[in-house]
Amino acid sequence: MNGPDTRVAAETADDAPLEEEFEVAVRRQPPWRMTVRRLFRHRLFLMGLGLCSVILVAGLLAQVIAPLDPTKLAMRFKFRAPGADGYLFGTDNFGRSLWSRVVWGAQLSLYIGSSVVALNAVFGTLIGASAGYFRRIDNALMRINDALMAFPAILLAIAITAVLGPSTFNAILALSIVYIPRTARIVRASVIVLREMEYVQAAVAAGAGHWRILRRHILPNAMAPLIVQLSFLFAYAVLAEATLSFLGMGAVPPTPTWGNIMAEGRQYLVEAPWIITIPGIALMITVMGLNLLGDGLRDVLDPRLRIQQ
Amino acid sequence: MARTGWTSYGLAASMTLALALGSTSALAAPFKCPKVGGDFVFGQEANVNSLDQMTSTTISTRNVAMNIFEALMSRDESNKPITDLAESVTESPDGLVYTFKLRQGIKFHNGKPMTSADVVASWQRYKEKAIERQILDNVAAWTAPDAATFVVTLKKRQPTFMEFISSFSQPIVIVPAEFKDDAPQQLHTVGTGPWELVEFLPGSHVKLKRYDGYVPNTKYEERTGFGGYKQACFDTVTFRIVTEAGARVAGLRTGELQGVEDLPFVSVADLKKDPKITILPLENWWVHIASANNSQPPTDNVKFRQAVMALLDMDEIMEAATDGNYKLNVGFQYPHQATYSSAGKETYNQKNPAKAKALLAEAKYNGEPVVLLTNKDYTSMYNAAVVMAEQMKAIGIKAELKVVDWPTSVQMQGAASPSPGWNYFFTGYGTQPALGALAVMNFFMGSNPNYKPKPGHEDPVLKAEWANMNEKVDPKERFAAFERMQARILDQALVLPFGSLTKVQGVRANVKGYKPFRIPRFSNVWFE
Amino acid sequence: MWGVVLRSILGAIPVLLIVSLITFGMMRLIPGDPSAVIGGLSATAEQLAQIRRELGLDEPLAVQLVKWYAGLLQGNLGRSLLMGQDVLEVTMIRLPVTIALALYALVLTLGLGMVSGILAALRQNTAIDQLAMVFAMVGISVPNFFLGLLMILLFAVKLGWLPTGGYIPLWEDPVGWLRTSTMPALSLALLQMGLLARITRSTMLEVLRQDYIRTARAKGLPRRLVVVKHALTNALIPITTVVGIIISLSISGAVVTESLFSLPGMGQLLTQAVLNRDYPMVQGGLLLTTTFLVLVNIFIDITYALLDPRVRYERA
Repeated sequence: MNGPDTRVAAETADDAPLEEEFEVAVRRQPPWRMTVRRLFRHRLFLMGLGLCSVILVAGLLAQVIAPLDPTKLAMRFKFRAPGADGYLFGTDNFGRSLWSRVVWGAQLSLYIGSSVVALNAVFGTLIGASAGYFRRIDNALMRINDALMAFPAILLAIAITAVLGPSTFNAILALSIVYIPRTARIVRASVIVLREMEYVQAAVAAGAGHWRILRRHILPNAMAPLIVQLSFLFAYAVLAEATLSFLGMGAVPPTPTWGNIMAEGRQYLVEAPWIITIPGIALMITVMGLNLLGDGLRDVLDPRLRIQQ
Repeated sequence: MARTGWTSYGLAASMTLALALGSTSALAAPFKCPKVGGDFVFGQEANVNSLDQMTSTTISTRNVAMNIFEALMSRDESNKPITDLAESVTESPDGLVYTFKLRQGIKFHNGKPMTSADVVASWQRYKEKAIERQILDNVAAWTAPDAATFVVTLKKRQPTFMEFISSFSQPIVIVPAEFKDDAPQQLHTVGTGPWELVEFLPGSHVKLKRYDGYVPNTKYEERTGFGGYKQACFDTVTFRIVTEAGARVAGLRTGELQGVEDLPFVSVADLKKDPKITILPLENWWVHIASANNSQPPTDNVKFRQAVMALLDMDEIMEAATDGNYKLNVGFQYPHQATYSSAGKETYNQKNPAKAKALLAEAKYNGEPVVLLTNKDYTSMYNAAVVMAEQMKAIGIKAELKVVDWPTSVQMQGAASPSPGWNYFFTGYGTQPALGALAVMNFFMGSNPNYKPKPGHEDPVLKAEWANMNEKVDPKERFAAFERMQARILDQALVLPFGSLTKVQGVRANVKGYKPFRIPRFSNVWFE
Repeated sequence: MWGVVLRSILGAIPVLLIVSLITFGMMRLIPGDPSAVIGGLSATAEQLAQIRRELGLDEPLAVQLVKWYAGLLQGNLGRSLLMGQDVLEVTMIRLPVTIALALYALVLTLGLGMVSGILAALRQNTAIDQLAMVFAMVGISVPNFFLGLLMILLFAVKLGWLPTGGYIPLWEDPVGWLRTSTMPALSLALLQMGLLARITRSTMLEVLRQDYIRTARAKGLPRRLVVVKHALTNALIPITTVVGIIISLSISGAVVTESLFSLPGMGQLLTQAVLNRDYPMVQGGLLLTTTFLVLVNIFIDITYALLDPRVRYERA
């Protein structure tokens, strides 16, 4: 729920350039093919992929596999236990099908998680690369960064959604604001190291522009730690969104998100424990899958980081 | 005593009669604790932030503070005004002067005797700082001719004055004079009640202990309402904040908590099977309400509002709101109250989609969004909004939920008219219906939050009836004015009263004498 | 060395300044204000306006900000609007609750997390290793509110072993404190345990592969001595940095955990303060909390620099 422990990663990424591996890879075959082959030999990555696929398929096909409207009330059928009256996962206090709600919730969780990741990829790179490359603005940017990171993550997210009002979009925004400083730091750390590399200095000497140097020489080589960071970030974002929804600060009900379902089921904890248990397990599977994917990516893309995780 | 409540009140004669009865009954044996001792742990739902009743009107504050502080006047079991710290009160023939004689021998928790100087100081603080200070607007002056007498003079005759100052929504509690300048929320917790404060940790618990210097009101022999003959039987009472409903249930089961408020209704059937637990329903806890925004389309159109009124299935809404623990209820008073009126009942619970559609056509409704503003802090309000939205969607109204937290929703609907961004605001009338017709109709007058006409479009009918409710000397006329006002509100569909919610409390079976009331009372309650 | 300390502290000042500005600005942007909470369910518009006036909320923002900073310079964080108490005073009552809980969680984390990490590293690729890593993975994947609810359901409702909530101060009744704090501490610690177990394991594996360990083993030193004396001491260096993260995680996690178990700590205090728009409480409380976290991180950075001479202290 809190930020990934990027501090550790960031600090040691200083002396972990990846250019050797990259150069070798370029010569022999497209690097992605080799990476993919290595990923598919990685046991944990495959397990993660399996878990994530289950959720992904459920999310993508929600409309097909759960045709019952997740917000449709059926008061006569409230509190059905899983399996009763044809409700696979049972019903909640409004008689709504939990199967529909959990499956549609998967869709929303994935949507929010991937949006946060996308925003982080764009703005984290932008801010991190600028700070790392242009030392003049580094100090100012990093002070703001440090300030944002000094807040306990979930409290900052709560305060931001309190400002913006609860909605799916605002939850994405709040979580992005919370996590972008962390992503930016990782990118910055790689950029600082890469900027001093000989081949970059050579490009500078050859008169290449800043934009070209960043795009051609620095960013591609800073990708590996970023991708690893983003895969863990996905897990944190899904978890944090559920926490926000659970506290009533996420997507607006009756929109089914896992956090919303659990928040509503909370008062029926004793009598209808399935209302909180089922989305809780779904959430766990997703986060675990993403963490395993992240482990795999880290091992393959960025082996030096392994030490720290 | 057939007619209790405000209708029977207001005549000096009836008061004198009540006092006479009181003094004769003092000859009988008063209540005596069958057993003394123990720590009563009460699981409370909401956090307590302050024990200063003058500047905080939340129920959680009152839950604790009503056991610590007392006022000159209070309400009895049937909501009739009674004297508490006052020995007697007399009204002058012209209705302008009220003379209170104070009970003798009363000492504050700090040992200081209570005199009229303390009463003057407390009323002064109330007039300066209390949220409901406007109830003293009509007071011209007060004096303390001697240590045991307090005299209030009104600017003009106000037959409902006693009803206001005996209100328990924000009682004028009597505190030692030296605390009259205490800042809001920071009043020293020193009262005259049977319980004194030991420890208060917001977010966790409040601990009270028996006040040994307490002087009970010997005019009575039993507790009645918030007054009467009160005795502290427990050594200590601990209010523990337990926000999780499931945790309150579990606490009551294990005996970790001896009393609990607001048990989830889904647990009740099971709890009833436990011989160690006594379930105590507290009926008519509040009336569930959605109030319409008359300054925003489409709810500015009376036809549209009436369409919604015609459509709603109150059973389904209340079923979801309360998990089934409700009673259908017309209007703003409860059937057990003398002031109950079914005026306007033809508008209630019509379940008539055909009529609703016809009215929608008349209103020329063409699919504008209708925003239901609700909150998650009060689950029953949230649940009611979910169901109402579904019912509206079923006949083609584009209903949208807006779920915010309670402070935000209050601010949104409280914004000056025209207040944008919402059409129906979900709330509950709790304390006011219990206090009586006058208190609840107060919601519709002036710039009050639950009635939002466009500026210059205030309803003249409501205004006239409100004046009648306040100024008519004959209680019957005041009641008739209330009936007409209620009928008008329902006919215009200004607010939608869904029904009344039953709050379930529970105690361990060895707890005796506990009787659910609007605010839990811990006097004359004991462990067997 | 002192240069490092001085630079860290000077660097913290602008950070805290920005933190205070963000907090102040954010709170004022939140719709809804404390009057609605103080006024209760049925306050009228006039009553609300009156409460706002009395709390000084109708003054211009700039005036409120200047007043707040002026107070800060005198060590006065203001008064909670809702409780009427001094912010510093309230914080000092609540902070020990959170710290006690965080320390309990830290003990669990170090005990269970680090030990299982070490065991897993020493028994690499055995069942023990795999079991430990599965637990660690579950730990970092379970939302703590879900775990908390499940524990209430199991240990309090079904089994009746532990109370459902309530708080007993450690210094009043240690056993009672243990009973009321175990579930919250566990739900708080699980994530951290998982993190720490994973970090410890990989750090240990890395250290065990180093030449000097092999040399020590080759010299015939007993395995236990090698592990404890050489491997563990060296592995501790990177692990130190994680403690900062764990403390930060504890404070963040406490937000949900304390609400769930009705513990009167900082997490609950600040969440309630945000939800109730208790501006001075949020501003003061967040400022104190972030200052605390910044100080912890400075302390850890310095420790790290001292422990490991290889670390170039490059960050300003």
